This record gives sequence, C-alpha cells and structure tokens, in this order.
Amino acid sequence: MTALLQFENVTIQYPIYNSRNMSLRNQLVRISTGGRIENDAGHIQLVTALRNASFTINHGDSVALIGHNGAGKSTLLRTMAGVYTPALGTVVRQGRVATVLELGTGMDPELSGYENITRMSMLLGVSKQQIAENALEIAAFTQLGDFLALPVRTYSSGMATRLMFAVATSTKPDILLVDEMFGTGDAEFQHQAKKRMEDLIRSVGIFVFASHNNDLVKTYCKRFFFLEHGVVKEIAKDEIDGLVGG
Amino acid sequence: MSPGLSDIIRTFKMPGLILYMAWSDIRARYKRSILGPLWITLSTAIGVVGLGFIWSELFHMDRATFIPMLTIGLILWQFMSACIVESTSVFSKQGNIIRNLNLPIALHPAQLVLRHIINLGHNIPLFIIVALIMGRTFNAYTFMIVPALVLVIANLYWISMMLGTLGARFRDLEYLVSMIMPLLMFLSPVMYRANALPKLGKYMWMNPLADMIEIVRYPLLGEATPALTYAINIGMLIVGGSLTYLLFNAKRNRIAFWV
Repeated sequence: MTALLQFENVTIQYPIYNSRNMSLRNQLVRISTGGRIENDAGHIQLVTALRNASFTINHGDSVALIGHNGAGKSTLLRTMAGVYTPALGTVVRQGRVATVLELGTGMDPELSGYENITRMSMLLGVSKQQIAENALEIAAFTQLGDFLALPVRTYSSGMATRLMFAVATSTKPDILLVDEMFGTGDAEFQHQAKKRMEDLIRSVGIFVFASHNNDLVKTYCKRFFFLEHGVVKEIAKDEIDGLVGG
Repeated sequence: MSPGLSDIIRTFKMPGLILYMAWSDIRARYKRSILGPLWITLSTAIGVVGLGFIWSELFHMDRATFIPMLTIGLILWQFMSACIVESTSVFSKQGNIIRNLNLPIALHPAQLVLRHIINLGHNIPLFIIVALIMGRTFNAYTFMIVPALVLVIANLYWISMMLGTLGARFRDLEYLVSMIMPLLMFLSPVMYRANALPKLGKYMWMNPLADMIEIVRYPLLGEATPALTYAINIGMLIVGGSLTYLLFNAKRNRIAFWV
C-alpha cells in the first residue's frame, strides 16, 4: 500500500480543565446562579497546539519534527496517528499506522512477559498468528530468556524497557510515528535499539520522528518540519542548527 | 461517517481483541491468588448462606422460596453495580491506550461489560446448586433467560458508555455513583420482591434497576415475565441507547483530550 499523510489547514485546540471546571459541582452552581459565577467557573482555557498546518507527506518520505518543548511535536504525532481529531481542517491518512509514543501502552505488570507481548501486540493490531512468530524474535532481541515467563513487575526498569521497545517495533506498518525514545537502557541496548530502528525505518513507507537530537534527525530524515507555538514550517537541512541549537 | 457511529462499528469488528483484553484483565487481577476468580463464587456463596438464613427468618419467608430469589438478586446486583460503578472511570483509567493508539474508544466500555459477564459466569454454578438444593425445577419459562440477559447486557453497555463519557469530563461522577450504588441496592428488589412492599410495591416498576433484576429473576424462578417488564427494558434500551449515541457522537473526538 502506498502510504500518504495529508494535512489541510489542520487546527488542534484542546481545553485545559482544572478541578474547578472538571467538577460537576461547578457546573451545577453555574446553572443555579445564572451568570454570576459564569466568568469564573465557565472559563475554560483553550490551548491551540497546532495552527493551520498544511503539508503532504508521500510514500518514501522521512520527516523530522523539531522544535522546543511544548512546540506541538507530540500533538502533531498524535494527530497524524488519528488519536486527536482536528477541530478544523482535514487529515487524509492512507496505510496502517504504528506509533512509538509512550512505551508500554497496555502493559500489565502482573502478567508474564509473554502475556504482555500478546497484550501489547494485539492492541497494536497484530494478528494472533503473527504474534506467535514475533514472540520468538522478540525473545531473541530482548535477551530476556526465561524471564519472559515471569511477571513483568519482577523486571528491572531496563529489562521492561527492552520488552516494551521490542514489542513497539515488532510491527511492520506503512506509517511509523516515533516520539524521541533513544537514550534508554545501557550502552549495549542503545546500540541494538538503534540498529533495530534503522531496519524498521527502511521497511516503512512514511517515517515521522520527533526529536531534540539534531544528529539523529539528520541521519534518519530527509525532510524537516520546524514547529513553533503550533505553527509548522518546513525548513532545509542546514537551517536546523541555527533554529534549535546543537 | 459520524465519529460516534464509525467508532462503534470499528469496535464491533474487533471482538477477538475485546475478549482477549477482558480475559487478560481478569488473569492479571487474580494472578497471585490460589482460588483466583473462584473468590467471586465463594463471596457470593457466603452472602447467600449468611443473609439467606437470617433474612428468611426475619421476613418470615419460606427458605425454599427466599434463598433462590435472594441468590439471583445478589448475583445480578453484583454484576450490574460493578459495571455501573466502574464505568464512570472506564475512559480515564484507559487514558494511556486512548492517548497513544488509534483504537476505537467504545472498545473500553465493551471490555468492561464483558469482563463482568465473565465474572457473572463464575456465579452461575452457585445458582444451579442453590436451585437444586432448594428443589426448584426449571420449566419452559426458564428459556426466557436468554432474551432477558441480552436486554440487560445491552442496557448496561449504553449505561457504561454514557457514564464513561460523562465521567471522563466530570471527575466527581465517579465518587457520586460509588456513593449512591449501595443506597440503590436497598431501594431495588435485590433482597426482596416488589410485592413484599404493601404500599410502595406497585411503584417499583419505575425503578429501572428493578426491571433489570426482575426480567432475569422471573424466568429463573420459572415464572412468566409480565409484558410491562419487557416493555420497560426495551424502552430503556431505545431511549437510553439513543441518548447515549447522541452524546457519544458529539463528544467522541473530545474524549482523547479529556483523559
């Protein structure tokens, strides 16, 4: 399948609710007191995390998202993934999407490593048969051996990270969306993880990578999107260092 | 297609995932216990024996009539109240999945209800044992348990979706509902039947929880279910289901921002 990601004037706004407007009490008070408290309790802060984003990412593109913390990189990735639906504008998405955003989605510490491989893989949309095949490969990559039969709560954090990373990267999607997550585990694991990511990146149609590491994005990506206050701007490779620093 | 409808259609295309997740939740919950989910059966059994002997005497009721009636009431109440109480936080507890994966979110209430159906399954042998000991026989009316359970489950599904959506936005709902449910247990015919109340009994049909209990209880006790009980259960499904659909359709795309 030819992967495609097309954004047209996409705006993402999200409300920040604090305990005051999250609670039913204030909504009830609002009803009973009419306009008096309205300004106070009815005020919901809207954050515009993405403003009028328009771009097309075609099959074979690898895109880096760069920008400071809170610039909207994760929001953009989630919108690409279909987790967030834009308030305005349209998103066209073709191809199966896999995300590596927060590691360990759906993991249950009481269950064994094998059961968690099945659980997390099923959530990623992998078929039962494919999971059985992947499990062997995951076992080999993580080098967890007999530990996979033990509950995940007995793992060290490094071991749990290996497992989560291996599962997240075991699917072969058309579109791969990755939030920065190199830099976990020991040096040996980082080396292995890097190699595994590189193999995966080569196999996908579209690769989008949010990172603060300028060297990494230059290695993996051909196009560069700079985000500032929710505004997306495509820039050239040699502009990166000037904008976000080394 | 509207966001709510496409979400629900996608949900029903993945029964394997829902079943696996529900089952693995239960496995995780009872992982380190020896009896495992049999604790559900055991705790209901203790409730039935304890309450059964004392209350049948207190209410001057024949045990052979009272204990099977009580067993059904307790089993069904456990099922319904667990679904209702947990549904208020069904989306917020699954926030990690909702924020990271492009999965339909109507999946989470379905997983919740299915998990409690599995729990309910663990209590069925208990009712059969009680019925056999107390010499209750089954008859043609017993088969009406099938449409009855389908209606109760369908009603619980929309209730979970509605409370889940509201609970994701208004976090107080979780505490409100868990505070009210024990009270509702006494206001609903869990440990008695409506006809035991001389004055208020004739209004009991207005309590939807009562109709959900009774629609299951009549067939299991081998009695004919009144048409009114069916009408209310079906009416609840139509009205509640439609309202939930309107709410879910309007708010489906906001839930990811709320959790």
